[in-house]
Amino acid sequence: MTTPSLKISFRGTEFTLTVLAVLAFVVLALTTHGSVLHGDTLTAIFQFLAVPMVIGLAQMAVLGVGQMNLSVGVVTGFCAMVTAWLMVDVGLPAWLALLAGLATGAAIGLVNGLIVVLTRINGFIVTLATMTIIDGLRYGVHGTATYQGYSPGLVRLGQGSVLGVPTVFLFAVLVAIAVAVFFRHVTVGRQLLASGGNPLAARLSGVSNDRSLVLAHLLSGLLAGVAGVIVVALSGSVNATIGDDLLLPSFAAPIIGGVALAGGVISVVGTCLAALIVRLVDVAQAQYSINPDWVDLIVGAVVLGAVLITQLRGRAAT
Amino acid sequence: MTVTAEKLVKKFPGVRALDEATLRLAPGSVHALLGENGAGKSTLIKIMTGVLRPDGGRIVLADGGEAHFGGPHDAQRAGIGVVHQERNLIPAFSVAENIALPAVPQRFGFVDRAAARALAKRCLAQLKVQLDVDRPVSTLSVAQTQLVEIAKALAVDSQVLLLDEPTASLTSDEADRLFTVMRELRDQGHAIVLVSHKLDEVFAIADTVTVLRDGRSVAEAQPLADLDHDEIVNLMVGRAHAVLELARTPVDRTATPALELDGIGTADGHEDVSLAVRPGEIVGLYGLVGAGRSELARAVLGLDKITAGTVRIRGEQARIRDVGEALRRYRIGYVTENRKEEGVFLTQPISRNIAVTVWRRLARAGLVRERDENSLVATYRERLGMRLSGPAQLAGELSGGNQQKVSLAKWLAADCDILVIDEPTVGIDVRTKAAFHELIVGLAADGLAILLISSDLPEMVTLADRVLVMRDHRLVGEVDNDHDYDRTSQEVGRLLHQAR
Repeated sequence: MTTPSLKISFRGTEFTLTVLAVLAFVVLALTTHGSVLHGDTLTAIFQFLAVPMVIGLAQMAVLGVGQMNLSVGVVTGFCAMVTAWLMVDVGLPAWLALLAGLATGAAIGLVNGLIVVLTRINGFIVTLATMTIIDGLRYGVHGTATYQGYSPGLVRLGQGSVLGVPTVFLFAVLVAIAVAVFFRHVTVGRQLLASGGNPLAARLSGVSNDRSLVLAHLLSGLLAGVAGVIVVALSGSVNATIGDDLLLPSFAAPIIGGVALAGGVISVVGTCLAALIVRLVDVAQAQYSINPDWVDLIVGAVVLGAVLITQLRGRAAT
Repeated sequence: MTVTAEKLVKKFPGVRALDEATLRLAPGSVHALLGENGAGKSTLIKIMTGVLRPDGGRIVLADGGEAHFGGPHDAQRAGIGVVHQERNLIPAFSVAENIALPAVPQRFGFVDRAAARALAKRCLAQLKVQLDVDRPVSTLSVAQTQLVEIAKALAVDSQVLLLDEPTASLTSDEADRLFTVMRELRDQGHAIVLVSHKLDEVFAIADTVTVLRDGRSVAEAQPLADLDHDEIVNLMVGRAHAVLELARTPVDRTATPALELDGIGTADGHEDVSLAVRPGEIVGLYGLVGAGRSELARAVLGLDKITAGTVRIRGEQARIRDVGEALRRYRIGYVTENRKEEGVFLTQPISRNIAVTVWRRLARAGLVRERDENSLVATYRERLGMRLSGPAQLAGELSGGNQQKVSLAKWLAADCDILVIDEPTVGIDVRTKAAFHELIVGLAADGLAILLISSDLPEMVTLADRVLVMRDHRLVGEVDNDHDYDRTSQEVGRLLHQAR
């Protein structure tokens, strides 16, 4: 299909982020005497980029209609727990458990979307409520205990590489391409952005805004489910704390990546690049042995800065 | 207090909203400010109340000093108060809190509630109005909130009071009571400006009149006793207007109407509306702002509820439930009045703006190819003469006229043969306007049935084959347009302002 990344303009957010990511990489490589370019470290950087990327896309999907999904993190954790439970306690084969994990995410997203449309309550409130509910359900699956020792084949695949590239990262890239194609070429995907960009104009053009809202939440839930199964395959063990630290990154990636909070404007490439930059901040913390608390501070500051720049740019444009 | 606005000029991109308009106000009189839609009344009021700054002319106050209002607050301090058509009260606050809001009585930084209530009571007493000052404004009737607004203007000691369409949403009893209040204030020495479209009420209460037309004051503070109803209408619509001559293809009046309404009533309040638009015909729907023209269009498109009557499309009875159905099944398009709010997707490329109505048709195997969209842009770029840098340009970067063309193109792309075009040239410069008129005539020549909603009388006379006049959600008459501005405009004006 198409490769949206080839259409990067040299002034847009994507270009800025690419330069920033390369720069960060070079600085990291130089100051650590090349240790980040070392095989294992490099593999780890991209292995643990997969989840932030997909979770960023999950948030981006709802931002596209001008809403937010606070439940992405806990849904990721819940889907991971469900998948592991189906393999360990129920004894389902790995592929079926994975599909069930994805379906769980999609179903939660669908419920979020239907509540938003049927009650006209803002998605922020609805997902705040479902986040709290699912947060509890996560512990309901297996308490505070850990699932491990499931499907060695799946874990081998999840931790493996193809031509030196981690499989989970490759998978995340495929997902990103699918999301890009959806918003760029699929009718309902474009209608979704039309609804986000201008609901009145969309309605007058014969687009169903309700369908767009449901679809955006459904897609968001599905992508959170994808992130959940990536966790299962990559880590080899899951417990109910998974997903706790994903909410900020889920917003950080799209916001830094140039996605409009008001809706209608998305950027798959920008979101993925921003996830990479946030990931590099993490790597720097490990390499320089910085107090981990600083990472959140830096990411928070970058998000604030990105929003500020977007706003200034918007003001300059009008 | 005497206030004179002398030779005010206000320019907006493409138009001179005010062109040396003069308004002289004397204390102890009710002064009517009249004019058709777009004559400059709102602009004049906005300048008088400090919302806009004039590009020329001056406002002279009683003491002979010249006023320079930096904002509404300055006008208020100079003693000029205004009651707008839309309500500007805080519903959750009490009557007293609202009245005291412009100048909250304070004591050591705390609100002095007792003083606020006393102030409110004094202002309401001045109007001879009985009202519990502790009631939340949300529990009041429309007429009562209006009185509260007048009291609020008095709270800051307004000597000049501008009332914009004060009776628009009042019953006739309530209006009479308002007139009593106005006379009371006049007798106390206030200068009152009444902006109204209802000539009968103007004759009932006003002492002098200023008529605006095309931004000029064509009657300046004339005693109303010297004028009669018809003279005022003629002053408002003017004479010898240059109307662009456009070659028209004659309409086959025996053809089956493309769109026919028969005794339509709506949830919005329309009663017994019947009209027919034939292929190749441009039917104008004229009326004052708020007469219910756009609302009728929205009901036909399935955005509002139709409660009575039948809609026939190409001779067949139709029930249109939503815009999607209007578009795909009946091929009706609605070029909206607010292009920025409802017509275009400002943050999206032009290609998507035009193709939004036809993605389903363009999709192959579920996927829309940008090549197909771009060829659509190329087609309409040429046909409508759009000026753009390319299909990927964002709609928000275009001029108003080009945005309007984008908004039109999406309906043409969808193969509509019935178009409702709502206020097509508002805020568009004169040259583009002429081009747009030619475009609309061209669409009719291609066989489209066009229902044109416009508040611009010269535009109506230029374009329409027939002009229907709507007042208070009813059609009150029809004028066969011979493109003679004087005759048509005066006839339309008479239908619009006739006593009921």
